[in-house]
Amino acid sequence: MPDPLLEVDGLTIEYLTDTADVRAVEDVSFSVGAGEFVGVVGESGCGKSTMLFGVAQLLSPPGEVMAGRVIFRGQDMVRLSAGELRHMRWRDYSVVMQSAMNALNPMKSIAAQFKDALQAHEKLSSTEIHERSASVLEMVGIDPAHLKSFPHQLSGGMRQRAMIAMALLFTPQLVMMDEPTSALDVVAQRSLMSKIRELQATLGFAVIFVTHDMHVVSRYCDRVLVMYAGQVVESAATENIFERPLHPYSRGLMDAFPTVTGPRRELVGIPGSPPDLAEPMSGCRFQPRCPVAMPVCAEVEPELYAVDSSEVRCLLYTDVNGLGETG
Amino acid sequence: MADRSQSTRDDGTAEAGPAGPAKHEPLLRAEGLTRHFRVGGMFSKEVLHAVDDLELTINEREIVALVGESGSGKSTVARLLARIYTPTAGEIYYRGRPVRELRSRRDVLWYRGEVAMVFQDPFSAFNPVHRMSHGIIRNLALHRRELGREERWREAERVCESVGLSKRMLTRYAHEMSGGERQRIGFAQALALQPKLILADEPVSMLDVSIRAGILNLMVGLRDREDVSLLYITHDLASARYVADRILVMYAGQIVEAGPTETVLSDPQHPYTRLLLSAVADPRDADTDFSADTGEPPRVINPGEGCRFRWRCPYAIDTCETVTPRLRPLGPVQVACHVAGHLGEEEIAAPAVTEIRSRGA
Repeated sequence: MPDPLLEVDGLTIEYLTDTADVRAVEDVSFSVGAGEFVGVVGESGCGKSTMLFGVAQLLSPPGEVMAGRVIFRGQDMVRLSAGELRHMRWRDYSVVMQSAMNALNPMKSIAAQFKDALQAHEKLSSTEIHERSASVLEMVGIDPAHLKSFPHQLSGGMRQRAMIAMALLFTPQLVMMDEPTSALDVVAQRSLMSKIRELQATLGFAVIFVTHDMHVVSRYCDRVLVMYAGQVVESAATENIFERPLHPYSRGLMDAFPTVTGPRRELVGIPGSPPDLAEPMSGCRFQPRCPVAMPVCAEVEPELYAVDSSEVRCLLYTDVNGLGETG
Repeated sequence: MADRSQSTRDDGTAEAGPAGPAKHEPLLRAEGLTRHFRVGGMFSKEVLHAVDDLELTINEREIVALVGESGSGKSTVARLLARIYTPTAGEIYYRGRPVRELRSRRDVLWYRGEVAMVFQDPFSAFNPVHRMSHGIIRNLALHRRELGREERWREAERVCESVGLSKRMLTRYAHEMSGGERQRIGFAQALALQPKLILADEPVSMLDVSIRAGILNLMVGLRDREDVSLLYITHDLASARYVADRILVMYAGQIVEAGPTETVLSDPQHPYTRLLLSAVADPRDADTDFSADTGEPPRVINPGEGCRFRWRCPYAIDTCETVTPRLRPLGPVQVACHVAGHLGEEEIAAPAVTEIRSRGA
């Protein structure tokens, strides 16, 4: 297997507040191969966006990377200086933010915003800038006539597409997306996802895709990381997690959705809410909400256990008796 | 054993028959409901047709889902029914009474007490400086004046518990609660009025997946336990299927298909319903007719004659350009489409088209 494009190793991020240091991301490790589509799923407050910002080196105080490495094309991004990062950002990796309404500048036309990004990295003539901008817009399915448009003149779906077009200005090797479809309705969401998948297949970039929608993930990702309370609780290939989710939390996320086909069944959802990370916890973090919790879960903190080709952080998949005695 | 339970159930339904939905005026009925907005500058002649000539009925103890994309006019319908907007044309009848004629403060209060609203965004719907009890107690003081001070508080605790929250939540502030808890308070606030109808405008779209199920179950529970009807506005057919008895599909200000939930979803007649379904279904076995659709909302500024879906419709025929389709019965559903009923045939038979054309003229 060739070297992965991105390797995250033991990434730990804390928010240093006056009252407590909140560990929003704890010891997260994963890798993304070239051209791979990796989904990160979890509820709000599970640290998925913080993790993504940590990887992209976009954290601002009080957030800080406390430990771990983010190796992107052989360089540890955590140790790079602001100047070195500036060269890489947008050219080698780009980020699509959750809400395109806030991410685009309302005072500038789409063309002017594209031009800013292009000029930051390359010396280009104005015709070259126009050609490149028009071609990326066309790629995402927007008429290049909209280069003159301002963000408010575009629909929500088009704005989100324009953001993706902007992320592709330099054909980066890695595009990170933070819930790009959550604010859209179903039809626009479906069309945008197919577009991303199609572009990814033709241009060959890798994607880290953060979402809370298990169904989006099931259709478009190669591999899925499920996050809960700042930790990875399951990491598996999409088919595996969809056919046989191992962690009770993954199962809960899947069962929280009604379907349009098949029999109607009662939805249970996941009662309760994610834990407050400022409070100290013992045992499994999901245990207070877990439908299959055992007494030992309150005492022993599970590690990531390998089950078949997946990894899962749950005591169901290990020899509990042995652990109970030592713990 | 099995036989006996079967027979009791049969008896039960037989008894419930005559007491059930008899022939009478529905709880709420809208006829030719229309709302236009003037857009553009002062001298602009542009008119946005948010809702056009819409028919709608909601019966007692019924959940009706109003489904459509953003920009289809769903929320405008809710606001018209809640009397936040006045209709440009058409009339709403509540228990047979025209709503336009409710003018005195007493009548308006009565209507607002009968028809309550729950809003989309639980993060901005509450005043951050008041405790959660504020809105509930205020509704009780305004609409149920017979209650004394202590009775009000007891009633607030009761509605709070009926939406699955502990009564301690009443003394909390909005920032101390999660999105799901806030949305439950939204329902509690509506319930305090003892309404017959709750208009719920995308109540789950801002919530996390894990708590959506709880709110959907709550809505079903309100219908079953509190005998409330609900208009559930959403863009998600899957959740509509989960809660609703009937589905109305809306496109560009008009109802394009209406019928019992399972019938509409298992055998969609209107091409737009098919598009919505293909967006939530598994792409591996989906209809490819809509693969190029980008989900762009329709233009409803000065729409002329003709079907408003025709630009996105893979089945559009010449008639669609010139004649606005009207809702017509087709089997168990109603559908506003010239080609519905002929879909799947190799070519649409010419006689059917001429027939429609002459009727439209």
